[in-house]
Amino acid sequence: MRTTITGLAIAASIFGTLATVGPAAADTANIWVRADGSNFMPRIVDAFNKGHQNQIKLDIIPNAEIIPKYGAAAAGGTAPDALSLDLIYTPSFAAAGQLEDITDWAKSLPYFASLSPAHVKTGTYKGRIYGLPFSADSSVLIWNKKLFKQAGLDPEKGPTNWAEIESDAEKVNALGGDIKGFYFSGNCGGCNIFTFTPLIWASGGDILTEDGSKATLDTPQMRGAIDLYRSMVKKDLVPSGAQTDTGSNFFAAFATGNIGLSPSGAFAIGALNTQYPDIDYGITFLPGKDGGWSSFAGGDNFVVTKGTTKVAVVKEFLDFAYSLEGQTILAKYGSLPVRGDIANEALKDLDPRYKVAAEAMAKGRTPYSVVFNDLINSANGPWNQMMNEVFFGEDVDGAIANAQETMQSIIDSAPQK
Amino acid sequence: MTTITAISAPTRPRKLVGAGRRQWIGLLYVAPAVALVVVFFIVPLCMTAWMSLHNWPLMGAHSFVGLDNYWAILRDTRFWNALKFTGYYTVVVTIAIFAVAFPLALFIERPRQLTGFYRTSFFMPAVIGFASASLLWSWLLNVDSGLFSPAAFELGLTEKKFNLLATFQPAFWSIIAMVVWKVAGFTMIILMTGLQSIPPDLQEAAMIDGAGPFARFRAITLPLMRRTLALALILSVAGSILAFDQFYIILRGGPRNQTLTAVYWIFNQSFVSFKLGYGAALSMVLLVILVALSLIQLRLLRQPEGVD
Repeated sequence: MRTTITGLAIAASIFGTLATVGPAAADTANIWVRADGSNFMPRIVDAFNKGHQNQIKLDIIPNAEIIPKYGAAAAGGTAPDALSLDLIYTPSFAAAGQLEDITDWAKSLPYFASLSPAHVKTGTYKGRIYGLPFSADSSVLIWNKKLFKQAGLDPEKGPTNWAEIESDAEKVNALGGDIKGFYFSGNCGGCNIFTFTPLIWASGGDILTEDGSKATLDTPQMRGAIDLYRSMVKKDLVPSGAQTDTGSNFFAAFATGNIGLSPSGAFAIGALNTQYPDIDYGITFLPGKDGGWSSFAGGDNFVVTKGTTKVAVVKEFLDFAYSLEGQTILAKYGSLPVRGDIANEALKDLDPRYKVAAEAMAKGRTPYSVVFNDLINSANGPWNQMMNEVFFGEDVDGAIANAQETMQSIIDSAPQK
Repeated sequence: MTTITAISAPTRPRKLVGAGRRQWIGLLYVAPAVALVVVFFIVPLCMTAWMSLHNWPLMGAHSFVGLDNYWAILRDTRFWNALKFTGYYTVVVTIAIFAVAFPLALFIERPRQLTGFYRTSFFMPAVIGFASASLLWSWLLNVDSGLFSPAAFELGLTEKKFNLLATFQPAFWSIIAMVVWKVAGFTMIILMTGLQSIPPDLQEAAMIDGAGPFARFRAITLPLMRRTLALALILSVAGSILAFDQFYIILRGGPRNQTLTAVYWIFNQSFVSFKLGYGAALSMVLLVILVALSLIQLRLLRQPEGVD
């Protein structure tokens, strides 16, 4: 599935580069999106192109390629006019002086205040706005209702604190055979920032200070969350493949129908409904130690390449995406709405489970850092190394201390502009 | 590249000196090859060297920093650790490849029944790309849905499914096994051609003199295969020092960053941290190390005076 998407994306990008600019009467702006958006992005672009004289030409780029490809294109003067960019990269792109300042336009939007706050926060660099929310994905906890029922649990009630997560997982695990209580990708920094940090946030902790200038890993909340995962690993509630899963089974493991509980994302709703309609599942928030909840606010920010001449077209497109029609298309094809004021309306005909995810999104958080890739997403970065060591290794103290030191040194040596 | 040409091309006879016109024609003949080397090797190499003197981010303006990148390499302990691991891997994998390829070459050297079949099947993995082979093995080694761990578990060899990629030793040796499987066939063919170029009379004469198989191998086969061995060795060492695909695809540099190779580190610096200038400087350092190693190997395996 993934390969097909990547293949299509490559084909699309090749055709994209070969295609010539449209008729001169109307302006055409070129936009890139990563492969994660290959479901909803073509739909919304089609809808826009049908109703407007100005046109959008879309290129879909494989997830791992989009950053280096954009960098190379920018250096060669062939960058797209705008880009739907994984929101966590917005600060580093803005810091590099690559993006157009869209503060005045953004603030003139009547619904500016109801745009996803996490997106706007990462889209802001030194007080100016360089990115606005486009697509959204929040982290949630999903459970398998059929397995819950078999294990004698209430299939309509998901866990609301850490102790319940563990005891529910244990009961499902007791069914035996191929059935396991819990799943997470143990060697995937991006997965764990998405699904593990909300456990810490919901309990009152954080991994970085607000402005991203200090790493704050060694907290009681972090240690508590680690203990929860460690204990589940120790009790053998987690399949052994989790230890080396670099993210390829992040969703696939639950989709087998043999996993009781798994932290996941809003995207799983669409994916399960369309590809695995037989799995009966519930969605709830990722809880804190003693209740409460939190979520990672993920997705894409829409950014404009500095110096482009097509700003007007790009703004027209973004305006359309923010309309009720645009938000409904996004929601229908796999992204949560990014406009809080019309989110419920956009979701009203869809699977009610989206409502939980949308609510999670509204209160979602995103760590702010210009070196997010180095710290968190890199498979060889300090965050991923620490996660793997603390969940499966022996030396929790050493792993935390080491990661704290490495993260701080990466933050300190980042270019200060 | 240059080092390989150096051993395979015999020294030109000096007859052409004086025949100026013919020399020009000769230059004309090699011009396309020279053009290719210049465009695809010399120019990029110079650009890399130029970039290595800059602070060159993936995006935004670059600035000249002189030798700062090189000074930074001196303090970059993770690079030196990666290099140390690469060295360790190179030694282990080269020994392993030769330990498998040499017996195979001896086995398939002379025509016998089914030789063609054996040659083909041993050589087969060599025609697969490293990336595809890595993907294949990454599935074979998967603990839940792969082959080795589930098979061992079903056969009752292990108590529970053993995750081969979770700790350093099994993960490292799994990679070695995969690389040997993939590369040994190629080395085998190189060694086989060397074996076949040894005149059978020499072996027969030695046999008549009463030399046993081990003595013949040591006193005739090995010395006469010097050049072939040099070629196979240099190819294997250069390939191993540049190892990347298998560690990236199967292990992601794990478990816990213990299998980061030098090229992997260069890749990370360039495309994860977006420091292209620093990545270029690291590449230059690696290039120097590789050239030096190849020269040392050539010197060690040079034809002794008077032979040939």
